[in-house]
Amino acid sequence: MDGLRVLRSSIIFGRRGSIIWDSWEMWILQIFILPLTQMAFFAFLAGSINHSASDVQYVVIGNAIQTMSFSAVFSVANITSQDKWQGTLTGLIVSPANRMALLVGRASFQIVMSTLISAIGLVYAHFLFGVSFSGADFTGVILILVITSVTMMGFGLLISSIGLYLRTAMIMANVFLFISLLVCGVNFPVYYLPSWLRVLSYVIPMTYGVSAMRLAISGSSIPELSGIIFTEIFVGIIVILAAYILMKTFEYLAKKTGRLEQY
Amino acid sequence: MISYGSDRNIHRIQAVKASMILTMKNFFADPQWIIPSIIAPFIFTLVSLFLFRNVNGPVLMYAVLGGGMMGMWGTTVYGSGSSIMFDRWNGTMEATLSAPSPLIWIVMGRVIFNTLEGMVNAIFILFIGLMWFRVGVSIYEPLQFSIATILTFVSLSSVGLILSSVYVLTRKAGFLENGLEIPVYIATGTMFPIALLPFYVQGFSFMLGPTWGIDAIRISAIQGYSGFSTGYIPDLVIMCLETAIYFFLSFILFTKVESRAKINGTLGEY
Repeated sequence: MDGLRVLRSSIIFGRRGSIIWDSWEMWILQIFILPLTQMAFFAFLAGSINHSASDVQYVVIGNAIQTMSFSAVFSVANITSQDKWQGTLTGLIVSPANRMALLVGRASFQIVMSTLISAIGLVYAHFLFGVSFSGADFTGVILILVITSVTMMGFGLLISSIGLYLRTAMIMANVFLFISLLVCGVNFPVYYLPSWLRVLSYVIPMTYGVSAMRLAISGSSIPELSGIIFTEIFVGIIVILAAYILMKTFEYLAKKTGRLEQY
Repeated sequence: MISYGSDRNIHRIQAVKASMILTMKNFFADPQWIIPSIIAPFIFTLVSLFLFRNVNGPVLMYAVLGGGMMGMWGTTVYGSGSSIMFDRWNGTMEATLSAPSPLIWIVMGRVIFNTLEGMVNAIFILFIGLMWFRVGVSIYEPLQFSIATILTFVSLSSVGLILSSVYVLTRKAGFLENGLEIPVYIATGTMFPIALLPFYVQGFSFMLGPTWGIDAIRISAIQGYSGFSTGYIPDLVIMCLETAIYFFLSFILFTKVESRAKINGTLGEY
């Protein structure tokens, strides 16, 4: 019961905090401008190399989904760092509140945001880059958007946990904001990568989300997508569990070494 | 005997030098802050190189040079914004503006160091590109390449100076630096010809000095490269003219912005 109460108040606090923390310009930037400019960059790039509409559409769909990282990875990863900057981390750590409920609650608003960002990315994909949704399974598209947002939020939490121990998670957040562009099959198939780098692809839920979205847009039904969706959910659960273990470990280390307030 | 004018120039140079040294010390004290400004160009270059994997040497060189340019751009855009933003965070904004030296010379020192940092970043990206993707290192005209690179560096500094003047007035430096990064990569043709862009974007591209700079760099580095119809020398002339205009504009902007910021009394607000 206590966990649920903490979760509920963290959701409310996370939503209010996010709205107060960022200015309206940052919201416009995050939701409308960054997805468009990123999609345009890679669409022009793919077009300049292959001159093929299918290659451009491959890249555009991938980037539409990847842009959710601005919210699901970057914003979530910075939760612990923001608490450090504001001097509220120590207060949170000494409270008896369930840690997972606390962090998941704070991050939950970003699930809504990241779903919205990628949905707008898909709107751009259709109207500006000519991606056809005529055969798309829209239930599948929405389901994949939500699942990918939730699982990537888990990935953001994983990085946020490390922020407990580091001076700031901002640097890691920046790295992982963009790394999915390289390793998750966003712009080119994962098999292009060297085998040692592919390991990273398979532990980031985005890889499955991007692949599933392309299939859903090309007309695959939910039963046909079930394999890849379950794999994404499974990887997402592992990632969230890993985030929990890391959080407990780094909380212990941060307390032991007195690094909680260091930034 | 030193005249008043020469004395003033010496003080300006001292202010630029001191500001560069302080920026350098800040950087070495906490070098992790370079990562946000280099990570996007670095990843974008790697992605581009993977996309270019089936094409031959000169095209790969085109991409690697574009990556280096993105690295310089990224550091300029972020460095200019952050130099003023960090003053606000650290509470040193008012002290910096009340110093006897005009703000432009202090910011110029920071911008020059940031652009130098961008060059190191560019070399790092070039190195990774060359090693990982085994792009052959063959600069077609090394002397012309060096001249174009140095002049592009100066041009980037002038853009950084203009950006910094805007950041003095606004609390929204974060919005601007994040929002400008990818558009400048697109507009200056770092990774693909700007001929692909809509005509209204091309107009903006030609107003940016570094657009001409990257073309001149590519002409001098890649044999047989056909960029703009202008050619190497006209590219550099146009870039230098635009750079001079940027410097002139930034002097006017800094004078106006500095006095307006002092009148408004909102310098430390963030």
